[in-house]
Amino acid sequence: MSVQHAGPSRGRRTLVLLLWLAAVLAGVAVISSTHFSADLSAFLPASPDARQRVLIEQLQSGVASRTLMVGLEGGKDAAQRADVSRALGKAMRASGLYEQVQNGDHSEWQEAGTFVFDRRYQLSPDVTPQRFSVDGLRDAVTDTMSMLGTPAGNLVRPLFERDPTGETQRIAEGLIPATSPRTEEGVWVSRTAPRAMLLATTKASGSDLDAQAAAVARIETEYAKATQGLGAEAPKLQLSGAPVFSVQSRDKIKGEAIHLAIVGAIVMGCLLLVAFASPKALVVALLPVLTGVVAGTAAVALVFGSVHGLTMGFGSTLIGETVDYAIYYLIQARGAAVPGTGWQRWRDLNWPTVRLGLLTSVCGFAALLFSGFPGLAQLGVFSIAGLVAAALVTRHGLPMLAPDGATGIGMRRHMARVASGIVQAMPRLRVGFVVLGVVAMALMAWQGGALWRASLSSMSPISKASQELDASLREDIGASDGGTLVVIQAADEQATLRITEAAGQRLDALVDEGQLSGYETVTRMLPSAAAQQARIASLPDAATLRARVAEATQGMPLAPDRLEPFVASVDAARNLAPITREELAQGPLAPVVRALMFERPGGGWASLIALHTTDRFDKAKLVAALAPLPEVQVVDIGAELGSLYDRYLHEAFVQVLLGALAVVVLLGLYLRSLRRLVAVCQPLLLAVVLTLGGMAALQVPLGILHLVGLLLIVAVGSNYALFFDQLQETGRADEDTLASLMLANLTTVVSFGLIAISDIPALSAIGRVVAPGALLALLLSAAFAKRRVR
Amino acid sequence: MKTRIEARVESGLRQARWALVALACAAAPAWAFDLHELMSLLAKQKQGEANFTEQRYVRGFDGPLAASGTLSFTAPDQLVRRTLSPRPETMAVDGNNLTLSRSGRSRSMTLDSMPELQGMVEAMRATLAGNTQVLQRYFTSTVGGSASDWTLDLAPIDARLASQVATLRLSGKAGEVLGVEMEFRGGDRSVMTISPKR
Repeated sequence: MSVQHAGPSRGRRTLVLLLWLAAVLAGVAVISSTHFSADLSAFLPASPDARQRVLIEQLQSGVASRTLMVGLEGGKDAAQRADVSRALGKAMRASGLYEQVQNGDHSEWQEAGTFVFDRRYQLSPDVTPQRFSVDGLRDAVTDTMSMLGTPAGNLVRPLFERDPTGETQRIAEGLIPATSPRTEEGVWVSRTAPRAMLLATTKASGSDLDAQAAAVARIETEYAKATQGLGAEAPKLQLSGAPVFSVQSRDKIKGEAIHLAIVGAIVMGCLLLVAFASPKALVVALLPVLTGVVAGTAAVALVFGSVHGLTMGFGSTLIGETVDYAIYYLIQARGAAVPGTGWQRWRDLNWPTVRLGLLTSVCGFAALLFSGFPGLAQLGVFSIAGLVAAALVTRHGLPMLAPDGATGIGMRRHMARVASGIVQAMPRLRVGFVVLGVVAMALMAWQGGALWRASLSSMSPISKASQELDASLREDIGASDGGTLVVIQAADEQATLRITEAAGQRLDALVDEGQLSGYETVTRMLPSAAAQQARIASLPDAATLRARVAEATQGMPLAPDRLEPFVASVDAARNLAPITREELAQGPLAPVVRALMFERPGGGWASLIALHTTDRFDKAKLVAALAPLPEVQVVDIGAELGSLYDRYLHEAFVQVLLGALAVVVLLGLYLRSLRRLVAVCQPLLLAVVLTLGGMAALQVPLGILHLVGLLLIVAVGSNYALFFDQLQETGRADEDTLASLMLANLTTVVSFGLIAISDIPALSAIGRVVAPGALLALLLSAAFAKRRVR
Repeated sequence: MKTRIEARVESGLRQARWALVALACAAAPAWAFDLHELMSLLAKQKQGEANFTEQRYVRGFDGPLAASGTLSFTAPDQLVRRTLSPRPETMAVDGNNLTLSRSGRSRSMTLDSMPELQGMVEAMRATLAGNTQVLQRYFTSTVGGSASDWTLDLAPIDARLASQVATLRLSGKAGEVLGVEMEFRGGDRSVMTISPKR
């Protein structure tokens, strides 16, 4: 062949390199304008049913996602903790970052109390025409008088002349929560620990992590100020709640992604240096990897609008596979008869196998696209785009830079010797592997469904200690942990309010039965327009009321004209404008209204009723009581999340099986031989079985991510199996091919091994499955290869 | 030399004299009747039922407001006040839980979230239980009278409770509380008369 065929032509080379550079720059440009998220909602499903959708909206942006719990523990004594609590509460309120800061300091309720008092005839559920009849007035006044002169009457007394029917009392009854924290020295304290408590909700949405981080940091600063000068005697600050968890996990994911990338790059670099003993080869080998990461990230940014931190964490999984392509190329393109033609030989001889490996991997990852977890779908897009880009770079870019592969020989001869030894030795262990496989199958059959017992919470990167602190603070606050929620959804605001009122009436019956100790509903502050109108319409005019009051108070030790302020108040109430959501949004009750009622992202309105259950609570009775209202749903959060996860696990099983099936079909189409197909699939199946068996033996609870890991074993392992198949077909088992396989496997096992020791459960779950699985896939491929291989 | 019989008589007399001294001491008036003795008397009563009537003198009203009903107590911490007139109403305390039922509605609350209310509850509950420690956490106490006819004056320690209640006076005989008088800030007063059911 003439010299011009020796390497790619100069023009073509320039064109390819320029295109490549342009693509990488475009990718970097896309990435630089992308928002990186880290909230855990990426691991909540995207298309659940109506009930679960409300739940997920709540988890993402509801009041729970904005609630911070603060503990001040230890220190000198309760009085000191109370002082710090008051100072911290005041500073937090002044900061403007929080919608509400509660610490038991009742002064914050004064403004709300005034509002409730002024609007009592619109708010009180007892305001009916009957209430303002002579009999109704007599009953109501007698009721209120029965409180006077008792300890409980102290609050009633100053209001008696203006509110003798006790409407304020009636409204307050509903608004004061049944489960409040203990109060000591005028502030909330724990029942179980020497600790003062504060509860705050941030103004910023739960998904705005930067703002949440600022809100959390502000508490730390204000705490430092409040405890200045207390020295070692200062109470310790404890912080918990969804914003803290989100911020912590974002930092953790970010730290871990960087950490994994650095460690991965160093280890990989060392491996490659050892293998090639050539810095140039090292750089060339890393190019497909880097291009793949850029392409994957940019593709996710384009498809999803933002990139989840966890997806980046998986970047290191991609290193494991994409570096294989470069290794195959750099080693297999060597030794060309005519210098500069190695790439052509590789293209004709080895590329089809690499391409098939690429396609099977893409099939595997494609299953993730349909998984319904946005987080996993991102991972799928990331991996597919990354793999395709890396393969394209290997196929078209690397020949331009290293037409004859890597020059150095490094330690590859030793590697080849080891690999060759393994290839020779493995087939003897074939029976042993089969026996192990049978044992693994038996073990799995014995454990059955219990094997897949990991729950959604096992994916959470929150440490156990943080979770325990959270539970303890939550217990002290008496914050409903949202065990059961009642959700009302309707087309518009007024319909939502009317149905919420109807649901509230049904819940009242359960309160009377003692099943509920109370409930929180938005209609206590914001009754529907219809309810407000009906109440106002029940108010008689001044003259009528005056006459009825005179008649009703006959025989009481009470002169009727003492109630003249009452007559005036009722008369004024007849002309009050209705209470609107807009009005409340400006006032002190805004946080409560915002927490319990909201516009749905997809249109329409929803309200929530938070239940305070007693030990007599029976969910079936609650469901039955609310059944006649079709717009009302009962959401049992724990059960709902559990069923959500179960559904996902089930879906993931189907998707993974489909992915595996697609891999098999693809292999079948390529190999066009049942015998070869079986030979290729055998080691893969056994690798999966042995990995699962190992997990079962180690009592590891398996979940969705382990399942994804199994698919990755098939996707990655098929490359090895195919190479052995190719070796058998061509009969070529030269040192370089064996060394490349060995090196590729080593990098894969190392990169997944790094993930396996990560602190983030989602990452480590995948790593712990794929690292041993990939190694097994190689060994088993060798074990089941025909003796023809030399 | 005394006979054997004389010696025996003498020793018998000596014993009798000691017995008399001991008896005299026991029968002596309780010139130092204190909180401890009162509380140990009260603590013996593990459980009780009583009727009560209450007269409340509230400023601005022409006459006293009357109420009546029943009280029941079960040691150590259950107390129920059931008002029958003028309005049926129940206040039940069980440990840290307070349940108020009126006009067909019930509401439960935790007692320790409202220290003032807890103070008022303990004035009655800790006295009935004979629990000195709890009582002294909320009030400074003065005991007057004798075991057969005593008074127990309580002054709130907590500033917020003191801003509402000036004094409390419980009175009774032996282990039974027969009256509670409360003096509120602002001049209101209530007098409760208790008659145990037997």
